[in-house]
Amino acid sequence: MSAALRRRLPETALAAWYVVAVIFLFAPILAALVYSFNTGVVNKQTATWTGFTLDWFPAAWNDRSLRRAVGQSFVVAFWTALVSVGVGGALGYAMVRHPARGVRRLLAGVTYVLLIVPESVIGVSLLLFYAVTRIPLSTATLVAGITPLTIAVVALIIRARVLTLDRRVEEAAADLGSSRWQTLRLVILPQVAPALAAGAVIAYTFAFDNLVVSAFLTTPRVNTLPVYLYGSLQYGPSPAVYAAASVVFVFTLLMLGIAGLIYRSSRRSPRAALR
Amino acid sequence: MARRAAEHPKPPGGRAAGGLPAAAADHVLAAVPTLWLAVFFLAPLGFTVVFSFGRSTFGGVELAFTLDNYRTALSGFYGATFLRTVLFAVSASALCLAAAYPVAYFIARHTAKRRLLAVLLILIPYFSSFLIRVMALHMLMSRGGATEIVLNALHLHEGPLDLLDTQTAVFIGMVYAYLPIAIVPLFVVLDRIPRPLIEASRDLGASRLRTFLHVTLPLSRPGIATAVLLTAVPMLGEMVIPKLLGGSRGVLMGQAISSQYLQSQNYPLGSAMAVLVLLAVAVMVIALARLTKGFDEVGA
Repeated sequence: MSAALRRRLPETALAAWYVVAVIFLFAPILAALVYSFNTGVVNKQTATWTGFTLDWFPAAWNDRSLRRAVGQSFVVAFWTALVSVGVGGALGYAMVRHPARGVRRLLAGVTYVLLIVPESVIGVSLLLFYAVTRIPLSTATLVAGITPLTIAVVALIIRARVLTLDRRVEEAAADLGSSRWQTLRLVILPQVAPALAAGAVIAYTFAFDNLVVSAFLTTPRVNTLPVYLYGSLQYGPSPAVYAAASVVFVFTLLMLGIAGLIYRSSRRSPRAALR
Repeated sequence: MARRAAEHPKPPGGRAAGGLPAAAADHVLAAVPTLWLAVFFLAPLGFTVVFSFGRSTFGGVELAFTLDNYRTALSGFYGATFLRTVLFAVSASALCLAAAYPVAYFIARHTAKRRLLAVLLILIPYFSSFLIRVMALHMLMSRGGATEIVLNALHLHEGPLDLLDTQTAVFIGMVYAYLPIAIVPLFVVLDRIPRPLIEASRDLGASRLRTFLHVTLPLSRPGIATAVLLTAVPMLGEMVIPKLLGGSRGVLMGQAISSQYLQSQNYPLGSAMAVLVLLAVAVMVIALARLTKGFDEVGA
């Protein structure tokens, strides 16, 4: 083996491993996309390819319970994103800027615990909580149940942004006579807005896809898409499920792409304005 | 993603944050999340802990102080499930780490622009429906599926593939689902290692392997700890992958707990099992904190 080849070998091996990982990660998604065009046998999806069809897309659209579940998912995801941005944003900010060190540590500790409690434990605990307090399950209780998971993520995104903010700008605002509220609204909020938007997108996507906590907190009347799909698995999934999932995935990617563009342009503009 | 001490440069006590006095706004901003999480997170967890010492009666629960639930949860079928879950989480997480490290290392060596693309390629699958991915994985691994065809074509396997409903299938599913989560923290840490340090090691005559083992690897310990934490913890509670890919042979703790709640309605036993999972998480956190001793805190 020549010296040049020996030097290049680790590089090539790393690149090859990366490619394998990407293929591995994408394979099931590509399979789901492909299966949404598979004819299947007697209205059941099959692992083998039985022919090309476009029928599953209208079938998914005409499936009333599937459509209802998608609608529910949108509603739950929207409210979860809204609450997470409000509560998580406050948490992320207070974690960095609260005057008392003890409070900052407490908030950081709670956020940390949020991240390390397995979802299934949160799910059963909430089920127990609602059962004991006799709060009937509804869309609101489902949203409230998912938020602990998303608040932590939003808080960490906001925290990272607040850490980069120049504290002197806030002090200047205070010196010039603005109240704390005014500073928050007029100085800090515009600066963390892109991070809030990014947090909202992540919370939205997460809530839309949440299965574990939702599985414990849904009822026949409040049923999100993942829970509906999970339930339908018992009878063997209809190929329409893949069609619906493919559409939702493409839609999610589009939304993320748009959100990414907004985030990038908003991050660029203040710097451009300073020049 | 360790928290640097420099982030709170002011000395403790007093008006630490920028010399601004505490205002009502600060208290509201701290109180809102605290209250919200106290109600929808801490209180439910507290209920679970209390119930784990309770006694199950017909269709209800009698609050008491008994360790019977823990005794049941740690013996027989449930005890075996608990042990298997912990072993599973540790080994699947280790495998995730081994698979993720080279990927993160590869990404971190690229220029900023290509790095973004490389990370995006890893993260995009994460934004598709988790359940659909697992279902598709099920399709790919089933008899007559794509994996069987590929393996047969490569002469790595002959005849039909009996992969589904085995622990191997659950293992593959776990690694699949958590690989991106392991890659990101590793990438962040590897990205931050100053290049001059690596160059210095090479200049001083250390081989690539030596440089990696004595410089890069030790410096990436916080990333390793975070990656293990972010993969092993959800694996301890995972209930969907074992159910879909492992069938009856793959039952892990998450499923066992959920069936206590949803089917058997034995809340105290389910609660005790949930508390056991939390204890396993705590042990893991402590172990990982030791790994990163000298660095800043683990995680986040």
